[in-house]
Amino acid sequence: MTVDSTLDSRAPPSAERVAFASMDALTTTGLTKRYGHREPPIHRPGHRPTGEVRALEDLTIAVREGEIFGFLGPNGAGKSTTIRLLLGYLHPTAGSATVLGRDIVRDSVEIRRRVGYLPGGIALYDSLSGERLLDYLGELTGRPSVRRAELLERLELSERTLRRPVRDYSRGMRQKIGIVQALQHDPELAVLDEPTEGLDPLMQRAFYGILDDLRAAGRTIFFSSHILSEVERVCDRVAIVRRGRLVALEDVASLLERRKRNVELRVAGDDVPVLDSVPGVSAVGRTADGRVTCQLEGDVGPFLAALAGHHVVDLTIEPAHLEEAFLELYEDAEPDGGDPSAGAAPVTPEGLAAR
Amino acid sequence: MNRTLFGHLWRSQRTKLLVVCVAMLAWSTFLPVIYQSFGQQMQALVDSGVIPKQLTNFGGADVFTLAGSVALGYIHPIAIILVSIFAIGFSASAVAGERQRGTLEVLLARPLSRWTVYITLLAAVLLFIGLVLAAASLGTVAGSAAAGILDQLPVGRLPLLWLNGMLLWGAFAAIALAASVSFDRLTPALGVTLAIVIVSYFLYVLGSLWPDAKGLEPYSLFTYLTSRDILTGIVDVKSFALLGAVAAVAIAIALVVFPRRDLAAPS
Repeated sequence: MTVDSTLDSRAPPSAERVAFASMDALTTTGLTKRYGHREPPIHRPGHRPTGEVRALEDLTIAVREGEIFGFLGPNGAGKSTTIRLLLGYLHPTAGSATVLGRDIVRDSVEIRRRVGYLPGGIALYDSLSGERLLDYLGELTGRPSVRRAELLERLELSERTLRRPVRDYSRGMRQKIGIVQALQHDPELAVLDEPTEGLDPLMQRAFYGILDDLRAAGRTIFFSSHILSEVERVCDRVAIVRRGRLVALEDVASLLERRKRNVELRVAGDDVPVLDSVPGVSAVGRTADGRVTCQLEGDVGPFLAALAGHHVVDLTIEPAHLEEAFLELYEDAEPDGGDPSAGAAPVTPEGLAAR
Repeated sequence: MNRTLFGHLWRSQRTKLLVVCVAMLAWSTFLPVIYQSFGQQMQALVDSGVIPKQLTNFGGADVFTLAGSVALGYIHPIAIILVSIFAIGFSASAVAGERQRGTLEVLLARPLSRWTVYITLLAAVLLFIGLVLAAASLGTVAGSAAAGILDQLPVGRLPLLWLNGMLLWGAFAAIALAASVSFDRLTPALGVTLAIVIVSYFLYVLGSLWPDAKGLEPYSLFTYLTSRDILTGIVDVKSFALLGAVAAVAIAIALVVFPRRDLAAPS
């Protein structure tokens, strides 16, 4: 399964996709969810149904087994709708999807047996103790909680804490319990919606360690988050949705590779290198204090070669961040005030490659 | 039905259930004692014409006979409030309440079909109602024994009375559950169900006290709780069938609506 085959959300499923479907932990094909009024039986040209909200439009993605897949987008972009469709909370208007090879409509119960889910802003049964809650949810799942002890230790949830009622827990502790309930039965696929919400930096680091171990064990993680630095750190690939449509689906490394890095260098005296014609270098300028600034894209070799022979006193190349890629994709969005129900035009492979 | 979910519901409700059962037991014990203590005096008062005779016909019950006083115990607002704690309160909040609190998210993330969740909730509420009504039967026997009139009580007909009560309150519980699976918030689910129960009770009381409003009685489900008739040996099978049919329709609606509903993210 190649990344490019999933870039165009309108593309029909290819033979290659069908042939390798068994390698995907999760696939969606033209998955669509609309709320509100349906199309009138007689369609008039130029007529648009009123009151219809397109929560998700024609989403086609494939998540490979054993990867950590980031699912990004601002509020209302369709992230939660996608997750809720995959887990059977919502019914698709059109399209199809499979999770662990099972159809999301026909086999929802079986899917949930093999999936761990952490809802965003999780609500728990306040009257139960943490321990009783985990027991209860574990029993409902019907699979042994083989990872619970390890997760509790790594997230520093003591036995004493677990004996207290959930109503006494802080937000961070509730989130830890939410993570444990989602992962304690060692699911083949974990769907995590904003998993580090409310966790302190130490616990966030512990959580990233848990994700690394799950990946090493061949588990698949579907990871929805607003925190781009976190997605950049933990995810192998990301999908970005905007107004219900997929606008990008790519390896994090490839996405970052194409981003321009900000460069700042200081040279001794007036020994300023000529950078304007160097491949990959753009926006060359000089600051008031004599430092040279530019943007660097792609291979750093030609840039370093251009510096050879010059007395460079200081050189800073800022790493590219997912945030810039994300914002760049969103800069192309329709101006505010457009039809909020209309999904933005999908990004084509050519269009994305041109960025 | 899911045993784990059922066990959770039992543990979460058992204290409340115990309190309600004790209260119902006490209330039902009280009525045969009242009949024994004041029944004849009340009869004399009515015969004297001080109290209009029609006012003594509240809900097809009275305190002049043991059967009438037991029937009064079942139709009195105190008994209705006690049974409603589970038949209406628990049922209406079973899904809509969990949805409002956000806890339905973690429940439905487990490998449970919505049918299974619904059937488990229905089984739980029927058990709770059954135990409360059993406490009422037990109280009736205890009260009759305490008043020394146990020989007047047709104990063998109490199970049929219990079944009649189960059908009435089972129908209301099924309506409440159907409302619960249809709304995202507790207030409309509870409001719709309470409106149905209150209107039904109002029609029944009005029809029983005011001869001109007699025609309203068939529209009330309470009309089909025939406590006094059952205790005097008259069994109206149609009443049982009608209550069962209402419950079946409400259950069918819930079983169609709940699995097909879109459950958007809680706000």
